[in-house]
Amino acid sequence: MTPALKPSRNICLPSPNCPCWYLLPAYPLNSMSHVTSRAPRTDQSRCPSSLPADNSMSSSCTRVIVKTPAKQEDFTVADDILVRQFKEKLAAHFECQIDQLVLVFMGRLLKDEDTLSQRGITDGHTIYLVIKSKNGSRSLAHSSQNLPTNDHCHQDRNIKENNSGVCQTAGMSQVPVKSALFIESHVPNVQNQNLEVDNPQHAAQMLENLCFQQLLSNVEFMQQFVSGHLDKQQLIQQNPEVAHLLDNCESLWQTLELIRSLAIIQEIVQTQQPAQNLEHSLNPQPYLGLETIPSGNSVLCQSYADFSDQMFNSMQDPFGDNPSTGLLAGQLTGQVQSSTPPSSQEWQDQYPCLPTTRVICTDSCGLSSVTSTNANPNTLNHTSRTNMISTKDQSHVCAIQQPAGIPILPSIEVMQQLQEENKDGCVSVCSSDQQFEEDFQLLDEQATSQITGGIAQLFINYPHLAAQIMFMSMTPLSEQCRQQQPIFLQQSKLSDLLLALANPKASRAILQIEEGFQLLATEAPILLSCFVPYLSDSCWLPGVQCSFPDTVTRTWNAPDMAEPKRPECCHKSGAVLHRLQSLDGNSSQTPHAPEIRFRKQMKFLQDIGFGNYYANLQALIATEGDTNAAIRKLKKS
Amino acid sequence: MESPHLYPVKLYVYDLSKGLARRLSPIMLGKQLEGIWHTSIVVHKDEFFFGSGGISSCPPGGTLLGPPDTVVDVGSTEVTEEIFLEYLSSLGESLFRGEAYNLFEHNCNTFSNEVAQFLTGRKIPSYITDLPSEVLSTPFGQALRPLLDSIQIQPPGGNTVGRPNGQS
Repeated sequence: MTPALKPSRNICLPSPNCPCWYLLPAYPLNSMSHVTSRAPRTDQSRCPSSLPADNSMSSSCTRVIVKTPAKQEDFTVADDILVRQFKEKLAAHFECQIDQLVLVFMGRLLKDEDTLSQRGITDGHTIYLVIKSKNGSRSLAHSSQNLPTNDHCHQDRNIKENNSGVCQTAGMSQVPVKSALFIESHVPNVQNQNLEVDNPQHAAQMLENLCFQQLLSNVEFMQQFVSGHLDKQQLIQQNPEVAHLLDNCESLWQTLELIRSLAIIQEIVQTQQPAQNLEHSLNPQPYLGLETIPSGNSVLCQSYADFSDQMFNSMQDPFGDNPSTGLLAGQLTGQVQSSTPPSSQEWQDQYPCLPTTRVICTDSCGLSSVTSTNANPNTLNHTSRTNMISTKDQSHVCAIQQPAGIPILPSIEVMQQLQEENKDGCVSVCSSDQQFEEDFQLLDEQATSQITGGIAQLFINYPHLAAQIMFMSMTPLSEQCRQQQPIFLQQSKLSDLLLALANPKASRAILQIEEGFQLLATEAPILLSCFVPYLSDSCWLPGVQCSFPDTVTRTWNAPDMAEPKRPECCHKSGAVLHRLQSLDGNSSQTPHAPEIRFRKQMKFLQDIGFGNYYANLQALIATEGDTNAAIRKLKKS
Repeated sequence: MESPHLYPVKLYVYDLSKGLARRLSPIMLGKQLEGIWHTSIVVHKDEFFFGSGGISSCPPGGTLLGPPDTVVDVGSTEVTEEIFLEYLSSLGESLFRGEAYNLFEHNCNTFSNEVAQFLTGRKIPSYITDLPSEVLSTPFGQALRPLLDSIQIQPPGGNTVGRPNGQS
């Protein structure tokens, strides 16, 4: 309130321009520059701090801005006007009753008996006006009695947001509704299959966890959501493999992440190297077009043909259900897969980790620092001889994935070890091993430098894609992205990716990033236990979890402590592999063997004249049932 | 005269990119952004924010974003909950309808700024409100603008603030 000015405490000074007395209050509150005039009225007002000589004190006008929620208007009033009088004026203007008016200035409610200047309202200040409704008070929407309405509202919001996502230009599949952010596109297409109501308890649960993890952990949710989606139907028609993928929640999530990153990188690469002629389109074929790497091309093709059918078919099963993972991890995986007949059970039992391994490796092609599996294969190598082949398989896989990953050394070491140990293995396997090693050395150097070199370049040259990465990493994928995904992946060629990323300095940079992650991992092992269960789902994106990078790297690092000899990336990949093996189990098993799936195509190929059953099978697996592509493949080999 | 009851007003700041912006912005934008900020006002033990679904409210930290990355003390207000809800309802029908949402021009931070000024007379920190112009001043932002313009953000977990039936 205005301090009461008592005449006895003030100094009265005559003013030449105004007959009013000027009072200089003795309080330190009022600066000496302020001049208070004692008007004939009982209330007191303070002039603006302009020169008193320029103000006519008794009739000074103040222009105040009155802001209502809908609009704002200027009002010019005497600065010593009472709030009540001001309200009368406003009530007349806004056609309401004075009782409905509430004036707020600087967070303070203006009382009727104050004057504007008492509250410090001077020229140009903004007063907020709230016109109360005629009825009584309201309660906040989310109080308990409004809960059904809230659920409905939230549900509506869910519906609206269901199929939206950022980056409509990126071929992304759609992440279900429950994510941290719903981003709506303007496209009004809404597949509201998922109408799981976000009841408060569920929302509360979700709040306690990482958004994506919760999202994915709700398998029913995802399945319900995805199954109802029209796009999925189309996708399944295009490729029956996708059905396996989508049915498995975890693999689906992995796929989404991989495809997301893959799509970005592919687009980047594609624009960079449009001349690259890839043999195979990417969606959803499980291998990269490493054939386009000149030096490795012919050698690779031969290597593929030499693979042991048994081994690779066995690997097919755990990998088969996540073909998109194979995209990033590479062509060679797919090639390997194509040549192995199904001795599935044995291999599957031995490689519960393979899908996640692949995921990790493929992810490393993107932003993550997870690299190929190194320690794990070695560990497996040292196990029983009976596991040798399977170990070798895995190492093959890992080594294959090396081109998509970053470090070269581990895979080569592994390969060498495998070669030594598996000398009495299958003849075809051994021969292909040697070839593989040579190939990998070649390919690794090329692909690694290519891949890692390009990532930084990609972001600089294609900022829109980088933005996509940014948004996609934190948002659900839009329905448009899902729709565009098949098209997108078909258009871009993954081998372009490898070829385009050619800067060795960038690979060094990525290695440094991985080292940084390791450092982070050493800092706070506490979070490790919290996030271990999520690792199998979250192995890809350090970007997505950039608020939790330590968790992922911690997980990497913890089992890795025992193997300090490995270079930086190898540390993490092996550690992660350990983790994922223990966690992921057989979550990504595919029930169908490739021969069963491709029975028709196999018959067709044989009718045409390709008599080599296993070669046909390999080709079909590699091309995911694409007969024409398989024929091309067979012709090349 | 008794001193009126003052209610604290806080600004909850969330980084939508979860740290990605801080890492990638130098590469993508050419300038350092510390985050993609989503804000909400917390007063009267409730959190209020604006999204593509209009003005929403929830318990503090009650959206899917979880707890805020930063809490800024805006000040204190005499505005009671009743008056505030009236004000929000009016806002929700006029200036801050759901369809008025625009990622650059009229977003959650616009709302938070408006409400903060109403409640306390103070604005929210400028690094938040300057974010759209920061992004748009880069070639990347300009290039991406058509895409970003279509983005609408609505953190789930809140309930729409509106007038009860029949009230004008």
